[in-house]
Amino acid sequence: MNPELLIPLLAAAVQSGTPILYATLGEIFTEKSGILNLGVEGIMMIGALAAFVSAKFFGNPILAFLIGGCAGAFLAGIHGLVCLNFQGNQVVSGLALTILGVGLANYLGTPFIGQAAPGFSPTPLPVLSKIPILAPVFFNHDPLVYTAYLIPPAMWAFFRYTRWGMGMRAAGEYPRAASAAGLRVAGYRWAGVLVGGYLVGLGGAYLSLAYTHLWTNGLSAGRGWIAIALVIFAFWHPGRAVIGAYLFGGVMAFQLRLQASGTHIPSSLLLMLPYALTVMVLVLSSWKRQGTGVPSALGINIEPSE
Amino acid sequence: MRRAMFFWVFICVFAWGVASAADTPMKVGFVYVSPIGDAGWSYAHDQGRLNIEAMDGVTTSFVEAVPEGPDSERVMLNMARKNYSLIFATSYGYMDPMLKVAKQFPDIVFMHCSGFKTAKNMGNYFGRMYQARYLSGMVAGAMTKSKILGYVAAFPIPEVIRGINAFALGAQSVNSDVKVRVVWTKTWYDPATEKEAAKSLLDVGADVIAQHQDSPAPQEAAQEKGVYSVGYNSDMSKFAPKSHLCAPIWNWSSFYKEMVEKVQNGTWKNKSYWYGLEHGIVDITPMGSMVPKAVQKRVLAKKDEIASGKAKVFVGPIKDQSGKLRIAKDTPADDQELLGMTWFVEGVVGTTQ
Amino acid sequence: MFKFIIKKRQAPLVWSSCLVFFGALVLSLAVSAIMLALQNKPPLTAMVLLFNGAFGSLLAIQDCLIKAVPIFLCSLGVAIAFRLQIWNIGAEGQYVLGAIGATWVALRFPDLPWFVVLPGMLATAFIAGGLWGLIPAVLKLYMRANEIIVTLMFNYLAILFLDYLVYGPWKDPVSFGFPMTREFSTSAIVGKIGHTQLNWGILLCIFSGVAIWIFFKYTRLGYELKASGENIKAARYAGLPYHRLVMLVLFLSGALAGWAGFLEASSTINRLQPSIVVGYGYTAIVVAWLARLNPVSIGIASFLLAGLRVGLEHLQLDLQVPAAFGGIMEGLILLTVLAGSFFVDYRVSLGKKS
Repeated sequence: MNPELLIPLLAAAVQSGTPILYATLGEIFTEKSGILNLGVEGIMMIGALAAFVSAKFFGNPILAFLIGGCAGAFLAGIHGLVCLNFQGNQVVSGLALTILGVGLANYLGTPFIGQAAPGFSPTPLPVLSKIPILAPVFFNHDPLVYTAYLIPPAMWAFFRYTRWGMGMRAAGEYPRAASAAGLRVAGYRWAGVLVGGYLVGLGGAYLSLAYTHLWTNGLSAGRGWIAIALVIFAFWHPGRAVIGAYLFGGVMAFQLRLQASGTHIPSSLLLMLPYALTVMVLVLSSWKRQGTGVPSALGINIEPSE
Repeated sequence: MRRAMFFWVFICVFAWGVASAADTPMKVGFVYVSPIGDAGWSYAHDQGRLNIEAMDGVTTSFVEAVPEGPDSERVMLNMARKNYSLIFATSYGYMDPMLKVAKQFPDIVFMHCSGFKTAKNMGNYFGRMYQARYLSGMVAGAMTKSKILGYVAAFPIPEVIRGINAFALGAQSVNSDVKVRVVWTKTWYDPATEKEAAKSLLDVGADVIAQHQDSPAPQEAAQEKGVYSVGYNSDMSKFAPKSHLCAPIWNWSSFYKEMVEKVQNGTWKNKSYWYGLEHGIVDITPMGSMVPKAVQKRVLAKKDEIASGKAKVFVGPIKDQSGKLRIAKDTPADDQELLGMTWFVEGVVGTTQ
Repeated sequence: MFKFIIKKRQAPLVWSSCLVFFGALVLSLAVSAIMLALQNKPPLTAMVLLFNGAFGSLLAIQDCLIKAVPIFLCSLGVAIAFRLQIWNIGAEGQYVLGAIGATWVALRFPDLPWFVVLPGMLATAFIAGGLWGLIPAVLKLYMRANEIIVTLMFNYLAILFLDYLVYGPWKDPVSFGFPMTREFSTSAIVGKIGHTQLNWGILLCIFSGVAIWIFFKYTRLGYELKASGENIKAARYAGLPYHRLVMLVLFLSGALAGWAGFLEASSTINRLQPSIVVGYGYTAIVVAWLARLNPVSIGIASFLLAGLRVGLEHLQLDLQVPAAFGGIMEGLILLTVLAGSFFVDYRVSLGKKS
């Protein structure tokens, strides 16, 4: 493949990885509090649809983006209800949420297929877009990509330095002790689920507002599941999530450019690359580290106290 | 006197009987392989269906997103049991199931799209989309400066390959060193992937993007980069007003109307209907204002030639990617060859897998 | 002020599990009906249509049975895994691998008689599907890779591998370049029972169901599996062979899904093509969770969910309800059952806030 393609490839990696980044960050936030939410794919779809429809009706992409997040939080709230109030098994509830979310989005979104809505366009940043090499890769995208740059450091600081952040980590690591110490574990978990769901919804909204300005069935195409895998790759650390998301975005962009360059490798095999890479990355991450950063109480429901 | 009365009563009853039989609307069913909202293949068929729904004495219905195989067989059986008189199945994979159902219901007319099997009560039909593709290729070839055309394609099945070939031939007829680069997305409607595929073609220097996809995402990519694009299935200019040159489109309305009328008056035959520009099943949208008038004139002239039968798209000498001669000089390819086309013509860069 | 007092029951109510299930079903149907009403489709007619379409005639019931066969096999496999708290999301991919394995035999040996070919296909489907389940097991045991993600990724890989085969080396030379293999010879096709549309695959279901039931009730390994599932740490402490159990469970899970793939390819479509993938593996998750491990309840749940799919087609045909509605209903059913199970395990009463 032509080396001239490298810069465009990296730029494509950043853009393609952005929706995955939002979703991964959202899921990290949820899992840190101890709740496993496998419904990411469904939440992304709902977020994408809500954002698209809002953009159509209100004409304001920023408002639409925020509404997409709200829709995501709402759907995640169902998961929270089933797991936190009804002690439902978190794995199964998440799976059900995916099935429901995808079905709901496809069903409600049917009238909107083939329509256009206002969205975000690439806006180069004023000074930074003059820097050679770095500029086209990082600073020549739509505003939502730039917003995504801000979230990982904010999240890292939140978990490290704020009282709420530490409380949330406690809810995820040693909920019983935390509860005994007076922390409202359920409250922190609800926050984890809702805020996490909000971010995942933003990831979906990115797909229909910026990545494309369209909506169709199956817009997220499995990205939600990739995000869940990347949470493990990132060892639940927001910074590493960035690497994972852009890496993954890069692979997806890479195999398409390989085709465009005229390779003879069958496209079905090339399409396997992202998924095979996810498996490899997951295996290597899980294998190498002892105590990988997984919140100890992840996925375990806390019995309601008397 | 009594006899006259009986006679008149008889006439009235007879007339009433005929009238009510005529009142029972003819039920026409459609089986789609994807949701009609895909703004693409199934959508185009459904537009045709809506046209005949408006006809007197006809009601229609459809089932969408039916997987090929036993599900489709069951769907068609259901329609047959519910006394539909005419059933259209719009995907290749419905062929064998339809044949099985047709054997069980000899009074119902079955029409299969894009296949080749027939029975006494089953015919097949398709449209010569490649003719419209050829014309769009001419436009693209005339507008390109980099001589690289990008084609975002869904699945390497014959109709897509045929379309790419026709597009390439059309482009080469106005600009002989044009190359067409193909990227397979393996999906009919995934805007994100399609857009990324279009961008990857733009990155290798394409300055016109064409597509055999159902979403306008590749058009968006072209517009963002400031280059040209060719749409598909419907006029996509509202998504990319500055880029959209033209689009090859389907128009099933007149065909479906013709079939319904034929069945209604008993003149339907169980043959293969493969109509093209001459019947209006395929067409290209009006070309955008950025296309010079001279080019538009040339393309429209060619359109008339093909529609009248004076010119054919796939006429030799045509070589494939490896240089082998596939269609001999001055020989038009026959329909069988076209239906099973799995090779690319010279000038197309990409695999057929 | 009042608040809810929640106490865990000493022993979960048994008969009320059924009540919960049906209550959840009714609730899901009600919500679905409301959704239909919001879209101006007559809800009551829709529900009637749904039932009639699925169960209203012998032909409909036959359709449901045919559809229930692959769902049953996949669900049985997934349920076994769930018992050990192994989340096998990969039934879809294992189903595909089974179909691929069986197809290999069918294409390679078209001229051998059926009593050689069919067992051969059975065996290769079993092994291929089983291996596709075993690999994630190994990755989980030795590299601690989360099986949810791995099995899910393996689904995508399997489907893409199928695509590669039917667009490439296995493409049918006479089907005009469409992605499908050659039609299987009659010796490779599992036939229909008499004049019905049912195929002999039903025997495979009965066989698997009985075999699994015996396995769990009467064998030592089965007992170990059940015990380990209840409390993994305690089981390990007691020396039960957790590693071997995980591998066995995922292999079996995949093998059963593989058989479902074999039946679909052989009996229903008579060749291998991409449209063999219709989401049975995901429906299986819903069924397995609803029915726990009793093969009989898995059978019933499979039948009901097959009925849902069949009935939905009638909704599509007569009321133009979009196809995506099925996903909504499946998701709703699962969620409501999950929520409803709460009342089986916990007692809720009103009390005063102190």
